[in-house]
Amino acid sequence: MAQVKLDAGAAGHGAEPRGKRTESGEATYLIAIAEALWEEMQRDERVYLLGEDIGAYGGAFKVTEGFIERFGPERVMDTPIAEETIVGMAIGSAMEGFRPVAEFQYADFMTSGFDEIVTAAARYHYRTGVPLPIVLRAPSGGGVRASNFHSTNPEPWFAHAPGLKVICPAFPSDAKGLLKSAVRDDNPCVFLEHKWIYRRIKEIVPDDLDFLVPIGSAKVQREGRDVSIVTYGMMVHWALEAAENLAQQGVSAEVVDLRTITPLDRDTVLRSVEKTSRALVLSESHRFLGVAAEVAAVIAEEGFQHLDAPVMRLAPPSTPVPFSPTLEDAYLPQVADIEAAVRKLSAW
Amino acid sequence: MVTKMSEAQDAAEADWRVGLSDDELKDLLYMLKLCRYFDERMEALYRQGRLPGAIYSGRGQEGTHVGVAFALRPGDSLFPTHRDLSAQLTKGLDLRRVMANFWGRIDGYTRGRDGNSHAGDWEGNRTFAVISHLPIAYPIACGAALAYKRRSEPKVAMAICGDGATSNGRWHEALNVSAIHRLPVVWVVNNNQFAYSTPNALEFDVPTIAERAAAYGMPGVRVDAQDVLEVYRVAHDAVERARSGEGPTLVESVSLRWRGHAGHDPARYVPKELLDEYMLRKDPVRRFAELLTAHEIVDDEELGRVQERVEREFDEGYEFAQRSPFPVPEDVTKGVFVEDGYWRSDPSREGGTG
Repeated sequence: MAQVKLDAGAAGHGAEPRGKRTESGEATYLIAIAEALWEEMQRDERVYLLGEDIGAYGGAFKVTEGFIERFGPERVMDTPIAEETIVGMAIGSAMEGFRPVAEFQYADFMTSGFDEIVTAAARYHYRTGVPLPIVLRAPSGGGVRASNFHSTNPEPWFAHAPGLKVICPAFPSDAKGLLKSAVRDDNPCVFLEHKWIYRRIKEIVPDDLDFLVPIGSAKVQREGRDVSIVTYGMMVHWALEAAENLAQQGVSAEVVDLRTITPLDRDTVLRSVEKTSRALVLSESHRFLGVAAEVAAVIAEEGFQHLDAPVMRLAPPSTPVPFSPTLEDAYLPQVADIEAAVRKLSAW
Repeated sequence: MVTKMSEAQDAAEADWRVGLSDDELKDLLYMLKLCRYFDERMEALYRQGRLPGAIYSGRGQEGTHVGVAFALRPGDSLFPTHRDLSAQLTKGLDLRRVMANFWGRIDGYTRGRDGNSHAGDWEGNRTFAVISHLPIAYPIACGAALAYKRRSEPKVAMAICGDGATSNGRWHEALNVSAIHRLPVVWVVNNNQFAYSTPNALEFDVPTIAERAAAYGMPGVRVDAQDVLEVYRVAHDAVERARSGEGPTLVESVSLRWRGHAGHDPARYVPKELLDEYMLRKDPVRRFAELLTAHEIVDDEELGRVQERVEREFDEGYEFAQRSPFPVPEDVTKGVFVEDGYWRSDPSREGGTG
């Protein structure tokens, strides 16, 4: 393990993100992501960042604050508001041996670069055998009253584009280890950071410069006996809160965090369902033809013999993400909704 | 025949060949004739129902395609469209593997995963595998050029699109970004006067595409694509300007699309007088052959030999493609991601040719 001594909380511009950990050494999800980028840029000269306002400003959410002072404007490249060209430049430079990490200010704006992502990047290796080691980072998801165009969960769109890996971490350590894996991966990776988690969740994060979390592996975040809640992203935290409440009501819920949408870790999901015999699939992306639909289908097709109850889904309706608190709360599955669904399943 | 030339005439005599040697001029002629013949024969096969998929004829635009690609060096990269097969061949794509690509065979550049001119050979000769959505490769060319600049490599990226694609937002994004960073890139617009059926007049309201370059802060040059040497000269200047670090250039090369958008399209929307003017009086291939004959670089006998050669190579390519096996169905899911190793090993040749 490579250990680096740092003065906790002493960071300013140009300092390592690790210096921005709390005094007890915990990193927020946002700082863990910054650490991953910093370490990979130090490790590999081919890695560079591009995106809007990531340089002097440090990014819309300040993930890359201090990077331009350390790595310079060539490796922390501010771009005009031209998302197709941001992705296209990532593709072209990757074809010439670089390992670009492009930042979108919000995952919603990935639609402005959609064609380059799903038509060019996703399909190029299948058609030609040319690897495209690209990471597309974007803050996704709702729950922060950010309204229609700053709350999207685009993971199903990209999961429908064969050739992309789609990563949705829920914890700081997973975010760091998965992002480092994505930077080292030779395929285009869509890395969706949840903005609700950014500054809310912190934990002690590994210091090992080669700490990697494998892409395509789910993790049981809480063990349980009665019902499996299969989910990812912000909903992992809401599910954990629900599981804690349910435990006090005598119901034991297991929480499976997918961590990666593509490739999907079917084995971990099926093992959990084999143990609990009941499954609630929970997602923040839309219910219709969504991630939850696919996971539910996998359980129904491959785990039917283990089930004591029908597979349930809990996910938002087919509407845009609304703004007003009453509407957004009605749109997103709430902790109470999760508890009710689990109780219903456990009573089956 | 001029027997006694003044110095000015000497200079003119030297200048007409824009610095190209006899052998290079003959290479140009060979490429023009090969591309013309390929285009004609493939369309005939398509009409006979012997060619699956689609064809996008570049006939009449060989002056653009061959002229611009001839200005590139082997390490330079080319980002073409579906209509630019003549440029791809000039850059070095193997005719036999191109034809295997058209027939969906394992020896095609995409191993049957894509068809027609959607071929590329990045490792071999830095040609990007064509994508239909235009100008999708313009931003990607920016990325390749950025890599050359970052590494201080004396290389250039060249991207081609048609007049149609200049209406797309990406075209403007890419030109703008390339100018901001003075990227070593050459933007070629093959203005063949029609975007599918839509004429220039319904595509833009400025007299030329080239003059848009000023809005981005780069030079724009409009050239007559009926004169391959003039196209070459303009492209060569732009390529060497980019190579020397002076940034991008927009080259508008004006021709006429002789055939429809694709094989199914009779292109009745192209006025007959316009088509006659270009086909009968402005054919870039015939004009270049006449030019080389007038300058005694080639004679009728050599022209005959070039024609025999391109016909033989076409026939060999056709036979190669027909003998190449289809990909095996079991491989359909392979190669989506890098790690299954499909593209790093030789594929199965058990797919048969039936």
